[in-house]
Amino acid sequence: MSSFSEFGSLVKNRHKPKDKPTDTKVALGFLAPWLIGAVCLSLIPMLYSLVISFTKYNMIKPPQFVGLMNYRHMLADPRFLNSLAVTLTYVIISVPLQLVAALALAVLLDRGMRGLSFYRSAFYLPSMLGGSVAVAVLWKMVFGSDGLFNAFLGLFGIDTSMSWIANPDTANWTLIALHIWQFGSPMVIFLAGLRQIPRELYEAASVDGAGTWRQFRSITLPMLSPIIFFNLVMSVINSFQTFTQAYVVSGGTGGPSDSTLFYTLYLYQQGFASLRMGYASALAWIMVVIVAVLTGINFALSKFWVHYDD
Amino acid sequence: MKRMWKKYMAALMAAVTLSVTAACGSSVGASDVPVVPSDGDVTIRLNWWGGDARIKATEEAVKGFEKEHPNIHVETEYSDWTGYWDKLAVQSAGGNAPDVMQMDELYLAFYGSMGSLLDLDKASKYLDLSGMDAATRAMGKVEGKQVAAPATTAQYGVIVNNDILDELGITLPDTSRWTWDDFERVAEQVTERSGGKYIGSIAPNNGYGLQLWARQHGDALFKGNAIAIKPENLASFLNLPARWAKNGIEGSAERWSENTAAALNDSDFGKGTQAMMITQATMITPYAQAAGTDNMSLVPMPQTEPGAKTMYFKPGMYWAISSGSQHPAEAAMLVDYLINDKNAGTILGTERGIPANNDIRTMLAGQATGTDRKALDFVDEIRSTVGKAPAVTPNGASELDKTIVRYQQDVVFGKRKPLDAAKAMIAELQESIDFNS
Repeated sequence: MSSFSEFGSLVKNRHKPKDKPTDTKVALGFLAPWLIGAVCLSLIPMLYSLVISFTKYNMIKPPQFVGLMNYRHMLADPRFLNSLAVTLTYVIISVPLQLVAALALAVLLDRGMRGLSFYRSAFYLPSMLGGSVAVAVLWKMVFGSDGLFNAFLGLFGIDTSMSWIANPDTANWTLIALHIWQFGSPMVIFLAGLRQIPRELYEAASVDGAGTWRQFRSITLPMLSPIIFFNLVMSVINSFQTFTQAYVVSGGTGGPSDSTLFYTLYLYQQGFASLRMGYASALAWIMVVIVAVLTGINFALSKFWVHYDD
Repeated sequence: MKRMWKKYMAALMAAVTLSVTAACGSSVGASDVPVVPSDGDVTIRLNWWGGDARIKATEEAVKGFEKEHPNIHVETEYSDWTGYWDKLAVQSAGGNAPDVMQMDELYLAFYGSMGSLLDLDKASKYLDLSGMDAATRAMGKVEGKQVAAPATTAQYGVIVNNDILDELGITLPDTSRWTWDDFERVAEQVTERSGGKYIGSIAPNNGYGLQLWARQHGDALFKGNAIAIKPENLASFLNLPARWAKNGIEGSAERWSENTAAALNDSDFGKGTQAMMITQATMITPYAQAAGTDNMSLVPMPQTEPGAKTMYFKPGMYWAISSGSQHPAEAAMLVDYLINDKNAGTILGTERGIPANNDIRTMLAGQATGTDRKALDFVDEIRSTVGKAPAVTPNGASELDKTIVRYQQDVVFGKRKPLDAAKAMIAELQESIDFNS
C-alpha cells in the first residue's frame, strides 16, 4: 500500500515547478516493472472481480448482470456460514497459541544457550515447509488411523485406531496443530525484538529484586508489545487465508462433513468446481471486508496494550 | 492528491466496464469451421485425466494414429481428475479448449448445453458410432444433440476377495439372485468372525450407486432438470454408511470416512483387509494387483427385488470434440480411431472401462485372461437385468458425487437425521440445477 501512496505523490509532484521533471520520469521508469505488474496483474483483475461479483458468470457464457443477488445468496447459504465459522475457529484458536509458542521459544533461545543458531534454524524449518503440499500430505499420514500420532499415543498406553483426519470433530484441530507447528517465523521476529531490549533494564530490575517472571511481565512484554502486535496482525491476515493445508488434507472437499471447509476453500469450490464465478468473486470481496474489519479491531485494541518507546 | 486518485480510479473502472461489455458481445466460441480434412499438416490437441497406465497406453495409441495419418500431429495433455476440470473450465473460458477431450457423464450436460462441444452428427463421415448399443450411444446426447462419443461403459458389481472368505470359512449364497439382506449377512460375518481384522464392505457413495439404488426402489434420480427421487429413498441411501458402521460391516464411521478418501492402494480393499467392494467391474484388475491376489471374483449387485431390470451401462468415459476446434474433421478421425480401431482397442484395453464398441469388447474378451477376462464377461452375465438407461446428469449437478459423500458424512457422524439430510440435499442440488438453467 505504501508503494501506492509513493506513486500518488510522484504523480502529484510532477506539477511542482521546483522538481526537475527528469527525476520523476526516471523514478517512474525504475518503478515501471512493479507498476505494470501491480496494475495489470493485481489492480485490474481485482476491480474486474468486483464487477464480476455483481454478475452470474460461469466462465464460458458471458457474464450477466444480477445486481446484489450473489451477496444476498450468502445470507441464505448454510455452507458459507459454516465456512466462516470453521475459519474463525481456526484463526481464534491457532493464532494466539502459535504466538505464545513462538514467544516462549524465543525467550528460551535468547538466554544465550550454546548452539543457538542451530536451534534457531531447526525451529524455523517448519515455517518454510508448513505451507507446502508435501507437509500437508505428511500430516494426513501422521494423523491417519495407523499414523504416527496414534503410535505416539500407544506409548502412553492409549490404544486407539481413531483417524483424526477422518473425524469431523477433530479434523480442524489437526490443521490448527499444523499452524502452531509453524511458529518459526514469528519466533525469529521475536528473537530480533528481544535483542533490542536494553540489558540495563533487566540489570536494574534484578538489583531491585525482581524475579524472572516479574522481569518478563514488566520489561519483556511491554518492550516487545509492538513486535507482538505486528506478529498478531500478520498472523490473523495470513491464517484467515489458509488454503493449501485444508485443500490437501481434505482432498479438496473441505470434509469430512465440511469440518475443514475454510473460507478460501469454499470460495475456490464455488468458482472452479461449481463454476459460479460471480458468487466466488462476491465471497472474495466479503473476505476482504472481513479481514479489513479484523485488522481494524486489532488496531483499535492495540492502544490499550501496545507501548511505543518514543 | 485525492482528486488525482479519483480520476485514475474512474478511468480504471471505465476500462474494466468496457472489457466486460466487450466480453458480452463475443460468442461462446464455436468456430463454424466446416468439417472437412485439410490438405496440409495439421496439429490437434488431445486431453485426458488419469494415472500412469492410462498415459502410457493412450500415448501409444496416439502414435498408431499418427502412423496412419502422417499429416496429423497430436499433442497430448493430461492431469489428475480435479486439476483436469479446473483446467478445462479455464481453457474453455479462454477459447483455448483442446480439440479432443475426455469427458465425464457428470460434466457432459454442462459443456454440452454451453455449446462448447461439437455436434458429432456433423462429423459422421469421419466418426462411426454404430459399433455400440443404441442405449449407450444415446447417453452421449444433450438436448437432442450427439455431443460426445461414449468410449467405454461401466457396470457396477461386487468384487469379492475370496482369500478372506476362504480363510473365514464363509460361502456366498446364490449371487445371481441375492438381496441386500443376503449381502449384509455375509459382510457382517466377515467382521465378526475375523474379530475386526477384516471388514465386510463399505457403502457405495457416488452418483452411479445412487442411480442404481433409486432404480431398485422403483424410483429415478433425475427427471429432466428436476431431482425426482423420493426423499425416503434418498434417505435410506444416505443412511447406508451409518447403518453399516453400526452393524460392523465397515468397521467404524471413521474407517468408512477414511476409506472413501483413500487412494486405491491405501484403502482397505486395496490392502486386502476388506472382503467385498461395490464398484465398477473393471476395477477388479487394479484391486487384485494392489491386494496381491488373483483370487478375486466378480458377482452382480445385490437387489431389493432379485432379477429386476434395474441395471444400466453407464458410459464410463466419453470423447468429445471442442466446438471451437479449427480441425474438426481430423479430431473426429482421432476419436474414431480411439473407439473403433482394433489396434487401439488392444493397446487401450479395459483401463478406461469396458469398450463401448461391441466388436472391440468381444475381441478383447477372446484374448484376455485372469481378472481382465472376468470384467469383460461380466457385461454378458448381467445383461438380463439391464433396463432402460436414465437421462444424463443435468447441468448444475456436476458436484453430485462430492455432495453425496458430504451428506453421508453428516448422517454417519450424527450431524443430520437421514430424512433431513435427504431433503437438504435435494434442495441444494435443485438450487444448483436451477441456477445453471
